[in-house]
Parts: sequence; C-alpha cells; structure tokens
Amino acid sequence: MDWGKVKFFLGEVLRNFTRNAGMQATAIGTVAITIVLLGVFLFVRGELTGLGTQLLDQIEISAYLSTDATPAQIASLRRLLAQDPRVVSVDFIPKKQGLAELRDRTKGAIDTSTLTENPLPDKLRVRVRVPDQVPAVAASVRRLSGVDNVVYGQTIVARLLQLGDVLRRVGIAVILVFFAVAGIIISNTIRLTVFARRREIAIMQLVGATNTYIRMPFICEGMLDGVVGALLAVGLLAAARATLWPRMVEALPWVAFNTTPVDVGAIAAELLLVGAAIGVVASWISVGRHLRT
Amino acid sequence: MISLRGVSLIYPNGVHALDNVTLEIAKGDFVFLVGHSGTGKSSLMRLLYREAHPTSGEITVDGIRVDRLRSGRVPALRRHLGVVFQDFKLLSDKTVWENVAFAMQVTGAHTKAVMRQVPRSLDLVGLSHKSRMYPNELSGGEQQRTAIARALVNNPKILLCDEPTGNLDPSNTTEIMELLLRINLKGTTVVVATHNQAVVDRMRRRVVRLEDGRIVTDEERGYYYLGLGQGQVLSG
Repeated sequence: MDWGKVKFFLGEVLRNFTRNAGMQATAIGTVAITIVLLGVFLFVRGELTGLGTQLLDQIEISAYLSTDATPAQIASLRRLLAQDPRVVSVDFIPKKQGLAELRDRTKGAIDTSTLTENPLPDKLRVRVRVPDQVPAVAASVRRLSGVDNVVYGQTIVARLLQLGDVLRRVGIAVILVFFAVAGIIISNTIRLTVFARRREIAIMQLVGATNTYIRMPFICEGMLDGVVGALLAVGLLAAARATLWPRMVEALPWVAFNTTPVDVGAIAAELLLVGAAIGVVASWISVGRHLRT
Repeated sequence: MISLRGVSLIYPNGVHALDNVTLEIAKGDFVFLVGHSGTGKSSLMRLLYREAHPTSGEITVDGIRVDRLRSGRVPALRRHLGVVFQDFKLLSDKTVWENVAFAMQVTGAHTKAVMRQVPRSLDLVGLSHKSRMYPNELSGGEQQRTAIARALVNNPKILLCDEPTGNLDPSNTTEIMELLLRINLKGTTVVVATHNQAVVDRMRRRVVRLEDGRIVTDEERGYYYLGLGQGQVLSG
C-alpha cells in the first residue's frame, strides 16, 4: 500500500470539498431534505400498508354449504380446499357454532333465544395465504358443488388492494422526483468545482492523467455530499422517531399503529447508500460532460 | 522521433491552420518553429500532443501513430512528452515542489518514484532551494523553470515548448534558452515554437519557418529571417 498516494488523493478530495463551502452546504442540505422526505414517506407508506395488511389478514372466506350437502360431500370439499396451495386453513363451522359466534359478535343485540329454528347453514371458513388471492380463491370455491354461497369482504378487499396499488405508484413517482432534484443540485455543485478546477484538469490531461483518475476526486466529492446529507437526514429521522413518535401514538389511540420496533440500523444503511448513489451518479454525469473532447 | 507527412488541419470554423505539412525531426534534435502569430506554430504543436486532430496526413511521435490514436490512449502518449507554454500553467495554490510532483502523482506514480524524481528535476532547472515557495513568489523565469521541471519529471524523450519565453524579459529568456539547450544536450529532443528573433539568431539551430500553414524554409543552423545575420533586422 502506497500511503503517499492515498494521502495525496484524499488531500485533493478534501481541498475540493472545503473550497466551495456554500455550494457544498446547499447540496448537502438538499440531499438531507430529500432523504428526510423519503424516510417520512417510506414510514407513512409502511404504516398504511401495515394497517391494510392487518385488515386484510382478518379477511376470511365464508363458504355457506347447501342444506342438502352430505357429510361425505363436506369432507371431500374440505380435503379439496386443503390441497389448494393458496389456502392456509379450512375450518368446518357447523350451524350451531355459527349461531353462537353470531351471538357473541353482536353482543346480545340479536336475541337468538326467540328463534325456533337455526336459520344459518353450515359453513366452511377458508383462510388464504396472500390477500391478493382472496377474490380468485372465493371464485373457485363458489364453483364447487355443495357450496351454496360465498361471502368475503368483497368491497373492502377490492378497496384495500387498490389503495395499496395507488400508494405504491404515487410513492415511486414522488421518490423519483426527489431523486431528480437532489441529483440536479449535486450535479450543479460538482460542475462548479469542475469549473473552479479547470486549470488543474487541463494540466492533468496535459501530463497524461487518465480520465478515470481525473474523474475520481469529483466522484468522491459527490459521494461525500450524498453521504453527509444522508447522515444528517438519518439523524433528523432518528430524533423525530425518538421524540415525536411516542407522542403521536399517544395522541391518536384509535389508530392501530404498527408498534413493532423497526431495524433502524438497516434503514439508516439503506438511506446512506441512497445518498451515496445520488452523489456518485450526479457527479459522474457532470464531470463526464467536461472531459468529453 | 517526430514525423509529419502531408498533414493538414482545418478547424471547424473553416480556418486552414496547416496545409500539407511534411516534417522530420530526429532524436536529439533542437528545432525552432518560427513564423508570425497565426501561421500554425501552435497548431502544429497541438497536433503533436494530440490536443488537435489532423484533417488529413500521418503523424508519428516516438513510434506512436498520433493521427490514429484512440482517445483512451492519449494519456499514454502525453506521458512520453513534456509540454511547456507561454503562460506556465502552474497551480497557484501548490508549491514549486507540489507543482512538479503533481505531474507524477496524477499519473499514478509511486511515492518512492516521486521522492526520487522531483528533486532531480528541480536540481536540473536550478530551483532546489525554492521548492517550498509558491508560484507568485517567483520571477517569471523561475516560474517557467518550474514548468520545465514539471514537463521533465516523467523523463520524456521529447520536450515541446510553445512560446516559452513569450512572457519573459531578455535576461530570463536567455536563462530559459540555456536551460533548454542543457536539456537537449542530455539527449531530449526539443521543439521550440517562438517569434523571438534574438533567441533564434543567437542559438543558430535548425529553424523551420511556417507561413500561412505551410513550411517555407527549413535550415540547419538557421536565422529567424532567411539568410540574415544578427543585427540585420527587417523593419515591420
């Protein structure tokens, strides 16, 4: 390892970085804002999909059996459904249990003691592995003989699936816009340093430095912008989570927040990586423009 | 060492900078390129270190076909050449030592080689005692000597000087020309583009004269003006 080389190189990067302090601060600030927004957005999306998933997880398909279904038919139906790879569990609910459950759920609002006869049919309760597959499984259950009617939260499933889809799309669009803005600002910062160092670059080219070598300090500078910005953002996000988050949970008790602890380290690493990537790409582009001859 | 065959250079704006130039420069030569401003001296130099690309013709420098050189190979060519300019092109925030070392460091030289070569190069131009000074603390001549030390630090076989004394007073000019001569005597091929008549006439070296992008005369031991001795200055 030639430490002299390393020292020279790092010295060049540091000199670049400190020369244009105002511009660097702007670039770092923009990256920080971008990544804070990205972090907040990811968090909100995570909470919303968390809530959605909770609701979706509770969704089950009730397959009401026809009154003339024989026990053998019911058994074969259960076997058939249990073999379906999309299905997690199939439970047989006899009508007696169904009535009891109804009584419990409505907490006595319906007085079942006045009934002379149980009006409910027997049913199969089917749980599905992935919420997206609920409608398809429901449709195939409906086609089976011995099944009279199939009920699941049709509209809520459709809505939740749609909401998740919209969130994903909007999220991707918003993130792309943030990235473009941060990229453009870093790219302009690097262009300024490139301009400030045009004499140095000319001399480097003259004495036979390769374009890769000339490019390297600028790439590092861009990366530094990205990483420092991301560090700031991660700090802000961590502080917000530590102080605002408990208050929010307290203030909004009716919202079923996802309170399982998140892996802050992994998220921070991801955000840092994102920052570095923005910096590298942006500076690569702006130096490349200058070196083209 | 340097060979041009039927080289023409037309700039994108339509200016014919060089027109069918053929020139051979042997290893160890010392050659003056003379002519008025705008006659193609600098253009010819720029072709040699591949700052410009010929419109037609063949250029060979130290065995490298420069006219066919891919841009990725240009750095390799330039490591074989030292180039010196009228405006020195020194970095004002680096010391003399750092300016010279810079040429090695940015081409990935080992620190050991830098520590060995830089003092040698500074010694050659006689600036060892000023290695810690910054360019603006030096005289013009000393700045140009720094630039020459930088051009020589990678041990090039060819030194190209484009108006090296254009910004210098007569005594500094003499100093620089003597230095170039010394470098030439050590075996480096030296090409100097200049319109400094006194320098050319005093040195009595090979003189290649350009006019409107063509070579009009090429004399061993020539004068700035064809067949004129020192002191016989043409007016205008």
